[in-house]
Amino acid sequence: MDNASRVRIWVNMLAKRHTWSSTMHAGAQADALIAGFHAGGDAAVGAWMCWPNHSALRGGPVSRRLTDSERSKPSRRGLIAKMSWKKDEDTDELGALMNLDHSAVLQEARMFNQTPIRPRQSRLLLAKILFLLYRGDSMSTNEATNLFFSITKLFQCNDMSLRQMVYLTIRELSTISEDVIMVTSSLMQDMQPKSEITYRANAIRALCKIVDPSMLSGIERFIKSAIVEKSPAIASAALVSALHLFNDAKDVVRRWGNEANEALNGKALSQGPSFFGRSSSTNQVVSTSNIVQYHAMGLLYAIRQHDRMAVLKLVQTFSGQHKSGGSSWMGGSGATLRSNMAHVLLIRYAVRVMESDASLAPQLHTLLEEWIRHRSDMVSLEAARAVCQLQGASGKQLTSAVNALQVFLCSPRPTVRFAAIRTLNALARTQPEAVQPCNVDMEGLITDSNRSVATFAITTLLKTGNEASVDRLMKQMQGFMAEISDEFKAIVAEAVRSLCRKFPAKHGVFLAFLASVLRDEGGFEFKRSAIEAIVDLAKHVPECKEAALAHLCEFIEDCEFTKLSVRVLHFLGEEGPQTARPTMYIRHIYNRVVLENAVVRAAAVNALAKFGASAAADAALQQSVRVLLRRCLDDREDEVRDRAAWALRMTGDGAMRGKYVRDDSTFALAVLERKLVEYCANPAAAAAGSFSFEGIPRISRAQEEEMRDRARVETMDAVLTGSAISAPSKQAGGGGGGGDASAPGTPAAGGAAGGFVDAFEQQAQYAAKLNAIPELAAFGAQPLVSSCAAADLTEAETEYVVRCIKHVYAGHVVFQFDVTNTIPEQVMEQVEVVMEPEDGGSGLEPVVVVPIPELRCNEPGSAYVAFERTDPASFPTAAFGCTLKFVVKECDPATGEPMEGDDGFDDEYSLEAADLGAGDYMLATYIPDSHSVWEALGTAGEVVEVFALAAFGSIEACVASVAALLGMCPLEGALTPKSKAAHQAVFTGKWMGAAKTVARTRMTYQKGAGVTMELAVRSEDPGVSELVVAAVA
Amino acid sequence: MASLIKALLDWLRSLFWKEEMELTLVGLQNSGKTTLVNVIASGQFTEDMIPTVGFNMRKVTKGNVTMKLWDIGGQPRFRSMWERYCRGVNAIVFVIDAADHAKLDQARAELWSLLEKPQLANIPVLVLGNKNDLGEALTVDQLIEAMNLQAITSREVACYSISAKNQVNIDITLRWLIKHSSSAAAAAPLSSSSALAL
Repeated sequence: MDNASRVRIWVNMLAKRHTWSSTMHAGAQADALIAGFHAGGDAAVGAWMCWPNHSALRGGPVSRRLTDSERSKPSRRGLIAKMSWKKDEDTDELGALMNLDHSAVLQEARMFNQTPIRPRQSRLLLAKILFLLYRGDSMSTNEATNLFFSITKLFQCNDMSLRQMVYLTIRELSTISEDVIMVTSSLMQDMQPKSEITYRANAIRALCKIVDPSMLSGIERFIKSAIVEKSPAIASAALVSALHLFNDAKDVVRRWGNEANEALNGKALSQGPSFFGRSSSTNQVVSTSNIVQYHAMGLLYAIRQHDRMAVLKLVQTFSGQHKSGGSSWMGGSGATLRSNMAHVLLIRYAVRVMESDASLAPQLHTLLEEWIRHRSDMVSLEAARAVCQLQGASGKQLTSAVNALQVFLCSPRPTVRFAAIRTLNALARTQPEAVQPCNVDMEGLITDSNRSVATFAITTLLKTGNEASVDRLMKQMQGFMAEISDEFKAIVAEAVRSLCRKFPAKHGVFLAFLASVLRDEGGFEFKRSAIEAIVDLAKHVPECKEAALAHLCEFIEDCEFTKLSVRVLHFLGEEGPQTARPTMYIRHIYNRVVLENAVVRAAAVNALAKFGASAAADAALQQSVRVLLRRCLDDREDEVRDRAAWALRMTGDGAMRGKYVRDDSTFALAVLERKLVEYCANPAAAAAGSFSFEGIPRISRAQEEEMRDRARVETMDAVLTGSAISAPSKQAGGGGGGGDASAPGTPAAGGAAGGFVDAFEQQAQYAAKLNAIPELAAFGAQPLVSSCAAADLTEAETEYVVRCIKHVYAGHVVFQFDVTNTIPEQVMEQVEVVMEPEDGGSGLEPVVVVPIPELRCNEPGSAYVAFERTDPASFPTAAFGCTLKFVVKECDPATGEPMEGDDGFDDEYSLEAADLGAGDYMLATYIPDSHSVWEALGTAGEVVEVFALAAFGSIEACVASVAALLGMCPLEGALTPKSKAAHQAVFTGKWMGAAKTVARTRMTYQKGAGVTMELAVRSEDPGVSELVVAAVA
Repeated sequence: MASLIKALLDWLRSLFWKEEMELTLVGLQNSGKTTLVNVIASGQFTEDMIPTVGFNMRKVTKGNVTMKLWDIGGQPRFRSMWERYCRGVNAIVFVIDAADHAKLDQARAELWSLLEKPQLANIPVLVLGNKNDLGEALTVDQLIEAMNLQAITSREVACYSISAKNQVNIDITLRWLIKHSSSAAAAAPLSSSSALAL
């Protein structure tokens, strides 16, 4: 046998060390292993090096004496591995372990109370207990406590392997058992400097699980010294424990920053070539992974994360710029990161600094560029990913990152390929042109044996590719659809969907592909994405509508998902009637009525009704539909019969039919849902009468469609980016990203309508908050009108940020002030806003002032001031001078707890004025068919006035400010004038949530004279028209 | 070579003569349990000890007897757990700060509630009045009176006045304990009389 293979066998034996551990100490085996090196020479080093590396990657202890804890790390896989090595030893044990019985094991645990302790049996029993816990068996508190106390008896035995199992079991039981604090003293004894390294490291890990924050100061001294310990096992254990404790005891752990820093900058224990010699001479094996640095970095960041400058300093320390000029104690290469994982962390922290402070971005960007060229794949990948994910990275900046990723695409390691292609895929969603240079490499990956890599390659190519390559890609994709998981299928379907929009000419290929994947097996999410893609295609590419509808009909013939059937039926009902041969679809739909469950039948009835009501339907078709509907009247299900009856009535009545078909609006569903829930939850309201649809804002179907679209893009983003680190950047991008996310086909007023719809969600939240305050809840179930946009009453970046939102009730007006305290060193108490009428304000009586009891830094709170309108018929407008009044107390910035004995002092802060205008009484809501409403209102309640507005320099500026003053819902195109010289805009709304009001403006612009505007307002309530016109004047 | 043979002989002898015993030390906080264990184990007195959180486990070999000492924390939160560690031991050692008159009532209540546990019936109890180096410390008779030890009839009870600091009466304490090791206990059946010394 040659030396190299002999060493390999030793390593194997070490892995199975339990087979002889009862007779031989772990140290002895490692000694044997070391002896093997001398025999094995150079060949041995390879085998040897890979072992500690491997253990370090799992974040485990790395000292030589830790082989045991390596074996017994509490990972499920590790444990099962342990179960399986037992097989070699005695096969009858295996059966026992596989069919472990909960109560039998607990019964057996009495063994722990016997004297003398039998270490080997006890260890096996502990393994069984852990196996049960990892398997998911639940243990009652009582059982766990009894077990725990039996286990404490095992502390009398000094068998090392047993003790480690005890540590592990204590960690697992710490959350279930009572009085786990009982072992504190024993664990503290084990972590004293004089005990074994194995004991110390593992005792620290167990101790941090059982200690409560109040006890922490007692052990602080030990943990501090353990952090700076030379042994990586102990230092890592202490650092990781500190990180775990950080959430519960921030103050204490914060004091360990210096120690963590020392561990971070600590001397390298492994020093290249000398490592081997050292390890054999001192019998001390050291890690080559420098895991301590990684853990120290994590802890240090946790401690300093809120101090931007400190984090920046941390990043700069390791930037490499200080390599030569660094302070002397760091030494030449002292301030470099030896741990790749620590470096990855550092990159993430750097990105967070860049996100929070744009002024530092250029400087850090150069650092990232430098790190892309790092010799470690891991660091290089992370740096490239960071650059790709940055908001607003320029094309030049991206180039080097993409180049690095391109090289990784050809890496022999699948992990690296996957990481690279995933990053490129994410980048391709926003900047496909930046990824284009990689197209050739990515095409090579389509045939990658790793299906995940291949899927990402295809979907990326779909985004970056041109029209010519689409055919080929689709063909290749067809080939492996069967081999990939459902999630990836959904991603592919999603990619095809966006491709459809990009290359409408290729609709035939796409449709064929989607139809064929629909026929395959697949889960709900995947089928849903495919259906949505077809629906999208049918909507935006008129030529393929009939073919798409045919595919959908085929799909519902054999569809296992009720929800999808309903979706398809609804869509058929929408689009089918306009096609050349509606009868074809009716047959498919009626089949559903015959064959499906009640939910689908009900949806089918609705779809039929739409065919019957359609303007395009001739008399014969209508008659056939009515026959079918009449048959539905015999259905088993109430709901189906009801819908059929309603449909029959509606299709028979010409006027009703017209109203139903022409209605292009729908309720704001979020608001409708909330109101319905309120109605159902409140028996008094139900007794008072039926549910009222008044006051529920309506939105146009186009708006609703767009809202759905945006929601879809956002969820898709969440699925794809997935990682926590991208969360803040996504939020930041939400505002700007909304515009480009909407498809080219959506209405021009897209952005504005989106914000308008979002406002409903916002108002639902306001209403919930208002209702929580009894004084305000008395004004009514919820405000009739809430202002959409909050008005800032302070400049940005001041000590206190105050925003004002107005809520109008039937008889009251409530001002809500959202106050944010931005000073970490102080707590504000009894915060209220004092409002003095400056201008107008007659007819408003202040009734309620609701202060904020306590306001800590960056935790916004809301104060309220309520007025009563003394005359119900008048709608006063006013401007109020506002002052913020509060009590200031100093506090500890770290905890936010006010200082002891600080009574605080009164302070004031003057705010900008808050206005109450006529627009605030107006509920901005979409009124369908505004033209006929306008006609119906007639000239009786009309007020027309002409304004010369010389101050405005353009029509856009004028229309925006008029819209703000009116507080009404702009109809499509109202805010985006097509010509610079003249523009017409229509606004709709309901005064006090009830009286329908329509405003028409005509404006012309002449250079020099400014804007001339004619405003005509018609309302159900004639007084209102004047008020509305007055709002502008 | 000679030392090797000697070690082997020692080992063989210990196989035949070794006796094991288990003891549990309880008592109110700050009565000197951990200090006493240290004195027994290493003969050294340490002045400032931190309160025991939970328990300490020490093994001490005296002659051919190996004593396992469970030293349980005396703070109120741990008192409910004393019983768990007293089950099945050879003897319970109840340590009292004889100089702290204010806490005697509390100590008596805790001792009696412990002895009432049915699981602990018949286990011999050694009551130690620690800190007799202090002037105000109670004598043994006063302690017996204060603890109402005469009333205990169903088990063997002894009471000594000791000082862990000056190592007074540690020897007789050890002697009493060794007498109650497993083999000795088997040889001499439980006497119901109270062995009162000093």
